[in-house]
Amino acid sequence: MALQEDNLWYKDAVVYQLHVRTFCDSDGNGIGDFRGLTNKLDYLQELGINAIWLLPFYPSPLRDDGYDISDYTSVNPTYGTIDDFKTFLAAAHSRRIRVITELVLNHTSDQHPWFQEARSSTDNPKRDWYVWSDADTRYPGVRIIFVDTEMSNWAWDPISKSYYWHRFFSHQPDLNFDNPAVREAMWEVMKFWLDIGVDGFRLDAVPYLVEREGTSCENLPETHEIIRDLRKRLDLAYPGKMLLAEANQWPADVRDYFGNGDEFHMAFHFPLMPRMFMAVKLEDRKPIIEILEQTPQIPENCQWCIFLRNHDELTLEMVTDIERDYMYDAFANDKAMRINLGIRRRLAPMMENDRRRIELLNGLLLSMPGTPIIYYGDEIGMGDNVYLGDRNGVRTPMQWNGGWNAGFSSSDPERLYSPLISNPVYGYQSINVDSQRRSEHSLLSWTKSVIQTRNSFRVFSRGTIEFLSPSNHRVLAYVRQLGEEKVLVVNNLSSSAQAVELNLQSWKGHIPIEMFGRNLFPRIGELPYLLTLAPYQFFWFRLRRI
Amino acid sequence: MKDTIVQGLQQAYQNLFHMIAEFLPRLVVMLVIILSGLLVAYALKYVVRTVLRLTKLDRLSEEAGASRVLRMAALPSMTEVLSRSIFWITLLGFVLVGISILNIAGLQEQIARLLRLLPEIFVAMLILFLGLVIANFLSRAALLAAVNAGYASPKMASWSIRFGIWILAIAMALDELGVARQTVIAAFSIVFGAFMLGLAIAFGLGGQGLARSFLERSLGEKKSDVPDELQPL
Amino acid sequence: MADDVFLGDDLLRQLMSVGEVDLLVAIPTYNNAGTVVQAVQAIEDSYQQNFVRDRVVILNVDGGSSDHTTDAILNMNGKKAGAHRGITSLRTVHRVTTQYARTPSQGLALRTVLAAADLLRARSCAVVSPATSNLDPAWVANLLKPAYRQDFSFVAPLYSRSKFQGLLARNLLYPMSRAVFGLRIREMYSDEWGFSGRLATQCLGQTLDEAVRARPEAWMGISAICSGMKCCQAFLGPKAPPPPGSGPDIVETIRQTVGSLFWCFDNFQDHWLDRTGTEGVPTFGSDHELTPEDAPASQDKSFELFRSGVKELDTVLSSILTKDTRTQLREIAALDPDKFRFSLELWVKILYEFAASYHRTVIARDHMLQALVPLYRGQLYSFLLEHGNSSPEEIEADSEALCLEFERQKPYLIERWKAKS
Repeated sequence: MALQEDNLWYKDAVVYQLHVRTFCDSDGNGIGDFRGLTNKLDYLQELGINAIWLLPFYPSPLRDDGYDISDYTSVNPTYGTIDDFKTFLAAAHSRRIRVITELVLNHTSDQHPWFQEARSSTDNPKRDWYVWSDADTRYPGVRIIFVDTEMSNWAWDPISKSYYWHRFFSHQPDLNFDNPAVREAMWEVMKFWLDIGVDGFRLDAVPYLVEREGTSCENLPETHEIIRDLRKRLDLAYPGKMLLAEANQWPADVRDYFGNGDEFHMAFHFPLMPRMFMAVKLEDRKPIIEILEQTPQIPENCQWCIFLRNHDELTLEMVTDIERDYMYDAFANDKAMRINLGIRRRLAPMMENDRRRIELLNGLLLSMPGTPIIYYGDEIGMGDNVYLGDRNGVRTPMQWNGGWNAGFSSSDPERLYSPLISNPVYGYQSINVDSQRRSEHSLLSWTKSVIQTRNSFRVFSRGTIEFLSPSNHRVLAYVRQLGEEKVLVVNNLSSSAQAVELNLQSWKGHIPIEMFGRNLFPRIGELPYLLTLAPYQFFWFRLRRI
Repeated sequence: MKDTIVQGLQQAYQNLFHMIAEFLPRLVVMLVIILSGLLVAYALKYVVRTVLRLTKLDRLSEEAGASRVLRMAALPSMTEVLSRSIFWITLLGFVLVGISILNIAGLQEQIARLLRLLPEIFVAMLILFLGLVIANFLSRAALLAAVNAGYASPKMASWSIRFGIWILAIAMALDELGVARQTVIAAFSIVFGAFMLGLAIAFGLGGQGLARSFLERSLGEKKSDVPDELQPL
Repeated sequence: MADDVFLGDDLLRQLMSVGEVDLLVAIPTYNNAGTVVQAVQAIEDSYQQNFVRDRVVILNVDGGSSDHTTDAILNMNGKKAGAHRGITSLRTVHRVTTQYARTPSQGLALRTVLAAADLLRARSCAVVSPATSNLDPAWVANLLKPAYRQDFSFVAPLYSRSKFQGLLARNLLYPMSRAVFGLRIREMYSDEWGFSGRLATQCLGQTLDEAVRARPEAWMGISAICSGMKCCQAFLGPKAPPPPGSGPDIVETIRQTVGSLFWCFDNFQDHWLDRTGTEGVPTFGSDHELTPEDAPASQDKSFELFRSGVKELDTVLSSILTKDTRTQLREIAALDPDKFRFSLELWVKILYEFAASYHRTVIARDHMLQALVPLYRGQLYSFLLEHGNSSPEEIEADSEALCLEFERQKPYLIERWKAKS
């Protein structure tokens, strides 16, 4: 069953990101699966989210957590079958939850049949589906993305005795999108899943689709042409479906991926994310204001996606060296916490398990313009394990209760796909869904309530934003407006109590109504509006003129 | 007639001797009173000085800044000033009492008048004292300014100011005492006016350059007659 | 605003917005609209280059400018990040401006700065002059770092000077303060200096006497020395000459500098009367240096003024100097100009007698300072006559000899200081 009422549903979405492997194991093999996930949809519905973004669940050698795909139109048997997926999809839709899946356009696993064919001989029809070269000197100067593990963007294939191009791991050869056959093949893949009923795709690594000599091989015009073509076909055949771009670029460069409303529907705002952390650590709104001042306007039918954490490292690619050093010193003093150009930690440990800061950041996430994405486990304050390899430390099993395997699986603990977090602070005995469900004041209950408040007012998802500039730099304040609906958001980024005087002349005569307690505050008058905030406190005020 | 003259002379000499005989004891008494007054005054001065030294009045006066004022007026320390004042006041008192013993007609009245004038005398003395202090201070200030500015006759400037203030103070003191008020005011006006006129002429004729440079400094670019100063700091 | 407070509500409101800071740089201004922007820019550049993670503020205290100096600061555009490629600074750099009085007063300006530093709990502060044409971001950093990173309380600047620059400082202020207070700090009187928040709080609690208001920086340094706080010097660069005609004349300069120095002798006598010897202070960066310079124009007029001063001020000097000293003065005043020599011994003796007379207030203190001016002119003339063609090394050697003479005669100062008359 498809949800068709609103073609702009993605603007109002609150997205929950998870990997099916991590969520719930139904068959006791120690690995999460679709049946288990289906069983937990009630939890997600109760949480208040209305979209799920599934990380890759396709057949894969799993050398890059599923982003190295060896079969685009199937389900990894470890997670279930296509039918299991269809069951899950139907159950989600019945709860009015949409499902977004991954579409890794840029590359495949080297185990994919296409690559196996391509490498088998230079005459193979699929040879040209990948980018080959006799020497590794083409496209010089192009940056390496996985700097910790890769020395070059070219890898030597001993079978076909030539080099192949890969922007990510060497076992992930890039597809050649100059080849129309490749484009057609990917469209077929999309159609396969759209026909089943998925509501959108997150297109992984889109900036890197096309290569040209003398360029950075990122964000090329040809890439946009490919996207426009896909979008056109999508709108014609599957209206109301959504494309989400993963383009880790500066906002002005990402802007191009929206086109004139004819490319992606949504794109991640990567540069905003580290700056939210930075602003709270610095106790200064400057990083957030500056990056948003640099963020261009986007077409009406488009939306930014904003997030705090995800399955990857907290990327520090789109920051200056000064900012990166600061973030490392502030949040990743231990080098084990760093990978590539980022920090592989979860939200709660980065906030030193400070409930106030966790709430503040979530408050920012849910009140700033854009579709928010909540990473699984952050709603209960899950911890991480930086000593697991790659980014696996933030991909540990979901903690459902304090019992056997945290309620994730009935298997032997040794069989789990990943060890559980078990230290006294973040371990599943202390941090789990069941125990937090019991308390109205737990982080889980709080998150539910704030999502519910956000969902009650469309101004958060579709409204404009106007920043106020109080002289107290530790306070970030802005007004969201959609038609007559106005919300004033005031955030104290500081660890100490603050007083702030806000210039609310434009809203003179309005009555601020605090949205969680629904209490009235004094009417806005001539003078600057004085507020006092506790450490890390934030207010959401509805402004009503009565 | 000779007898009359002789008798007259005898009578006159007798009256004279009689008067002297009557006056002499009073004179002696007066002298004794004054002498004893001198002794008492010295004794009091000694006692006051000792007491004031024991109470460390000079240190208090130094801390209060009064000593500075005295030094500026070239006066001795507070202890000394007070003890000497006590001396002279005591002595004056005995002198006045002694004079009153003489019983000279009209003198009592003058003494009473003198006593009535004492407050004005005190104020006049205060005016003179202040005038002295101010004259001293301002004339020295003028001297220093003139020397440092390289003026040709710094002492003239200094003395002019000192003289001017003295004249003003004396005139004010006399006016306070009510001595020949009209004359004093007229004389002061004439002397002071003449003095100022003299200064103006001297300034205008002899100080044209100075006047010019003064005006230039006040109204336009700063030009100084003193040498170009190297950067001192 | 209550009568007994001097910090205005507007400034207080601005300080509330700033909150706690690590670093504060103050710029006192009075009609500096033409030069203040480059000074503020230098400070901001210094913050970006050296203190990018620290909480900072720029405080302008203005003495009633009529040329919209404060507007020039407020209307400055901060450097925008180039296109979309990055942010230049992590934190907000606050610019706070306030008018502390309707007419300029260094003392009141400093008091406002101290109050702000205290309220903002600044760890390290610096004062810079908007008129310094070669103010460099590195200068600001050099003034801030010792207090911020190494627990020093007072940071005096050190300059590279030309031979005949700063002769009052070299021939009077430095050697005298060195001998009396025991620390070899060259530039106690300057337009740039640094201090710690701790020193700011201490000085804020003391009354700033009229005598030191015009040059409060030396008073701060001496307060630090006498409180046992750590002092140091930081090399900045060449001392730029002030624009011609700007700044007070020599009479006013001596009144301000020597007056404040003598006042400090008086106020801090408990510290120095028993102190002997001198010690150096840590110096960051290069040491001070002298650079060659052409001999200045003839200073014959100085000699005339000296001679005239000795003659005309004899009555004044008789209250200040001993008979023997005056005799020696008269003897040298009678010399031919080309044979004139003002010996180090006599110069030091005169200064110490002046200091002692100042202490006893034998005459009005301001008059005493003015009486010193012609004598200084004589010493200056003698110095230039002797060293017109000397090398920087020779001048340095003479300067050190003068310092040692001051130290040698310090017992004489103490004897005169304690004498009853």
